[in-house]
Amino acid sequence: MALRCVVVTPERTQLDREAEYISLPMFDGELGVMNGRAPMIGRLGYGTMKLQTAAGPERYYIDGGFAHVEGDVVNVLTGKAIPVDLLDSEEARNALQEALELPASSPEESQIKATAVMKARGQVRASR
Amino acid sequence: MANARALDKRRKSIRNIRKITRTMELIATARYKKAMDRAHAVTAYTDRLSQIVSSLSAAGTEVDHPLLQPRDNPKAVRVLVLSSNRGLCGGYNAGILRAAAPRIRELADSIGNVTVDVSGKRGINGLKFRGIQTAETYLQFEDQPAYDEVEKIASGFLDQYITGQFDRLEVVYTKFISTSRQEATIETLLPFGSLDEGESVSADATVDSQNANQYEFLPTAESILEEVVPTSFKAKLFKCFLDAAVSEQVARMIAMKGATESAGEMISQLSMTYNRARQSQITGEIMEIIGGVEALKG
Repeated sequence: MALRCVVVTPERTQLDREAEYISLPMFDGELGVMNGRAPMIGRLGYGTMKLQTAAGPERYYIDGGFAHVEGDVVNVLTGKAIPVDLLDSEEARNALQEALELPASSPEESQIKATAVMKARGQVRASR
Repeated sequence: MANARALDKRRKSIRNIRKITRTMELIATARYKKAMDRAHAVTAYTDRLSQIVSSLSAAGTEVDHPLLQPRDNPKAVRVLVLSSNRGLCGGYNAGILRAAAPRIRELADSIGNVTVDVSGKRGINGLKFRGIQTAETYLQFEDQPAYDEVEKIASGFLDQYITGQFDRLEVVYTKFISTSRQEATIETLLPFGSLDEGESVSADATVDSQNANQYEFLPTAESILEEVVPTSFKAKLFKCFLDAAVSEQVARMIAMKGATESAGEMISQLSMTYNRARQSQITGEIMEIIGGVEALKG
């Protein structure tokens, strides 16, 4: 039996399909999900989600959010999910450059900067 | 009695206007349906989000976040006004401005430092006319606001709020209650009121509480909460934009329906006047001929 992967963004349900194996980009590293995983709620980072489907592998860039695994359904809540082929590596690199130039003179500012850098790095890595 | 030709010309021009308003009504109806679908799509997202929140609270996590705490003695307030880019939508923009302008004045009196952001050409012009300075203006939001754009604004607000550039964020927008009711409302989005939107969510939470305990939280429940609050804020701001878009289309639909109906009424009235004018012209001409014949007889 296969897993069902549902990716929901605020605009629409972007993806709803069966997969044998899903690799999620969690906040602190990758997490593989196969059928029969214990129920889980996790925080997603910025990175690539990999699906192993009957039609072949698929890769999406995930922009933070949450993963909710229950039974054989994996719900992914994210701001955007972009197929990796559609990412622009030039743009991602520029975003990283901008993020690195942000000020970090107070704890709050440095946290904002760290998030921006993390996000841009995830995009650069995914667009390769 | 008015000139029959002039009346006919006027009737023709009103017919043309009726054609235009009817087309606008149809377009607004189509856009309204699309905007409505998007508003439904966002509920799928927020429902799942509140499900996560309820399992978090059921697992005994203390719901506590800097964005949730009200700040004492706010020094700076930011107001975001959502209006439309186009007119011909009845009292939509007037309603927004009527709610926004007094509120902005009130805040300026009580707190002092008020920054106003506006989305939509009508709102920008309306506030300018009322002598209210605006900081940021957005023109890119039409009937289908993109989440990407809204998210940029939302992250900007979050960053500024966290770094203490303002202590409160209020959004003035038209809340969509039903097709026949939309209300201009002022909502305080930051500090974020509560994570549970409605009563139904908390009711579900008690039912789910036994199931919720078995969830594994990765990396920790606290870390998830840290992310849930900003995400809910973004979703809520997005919902405001969508509500405003839906309300605009509804307002335009109703306004154009009214315009089409009054054009129809005007046409039937003018037709009657035109026919009378024509008839009296004919009668006049007959009278002249009869008069001429009578004169020749005599």
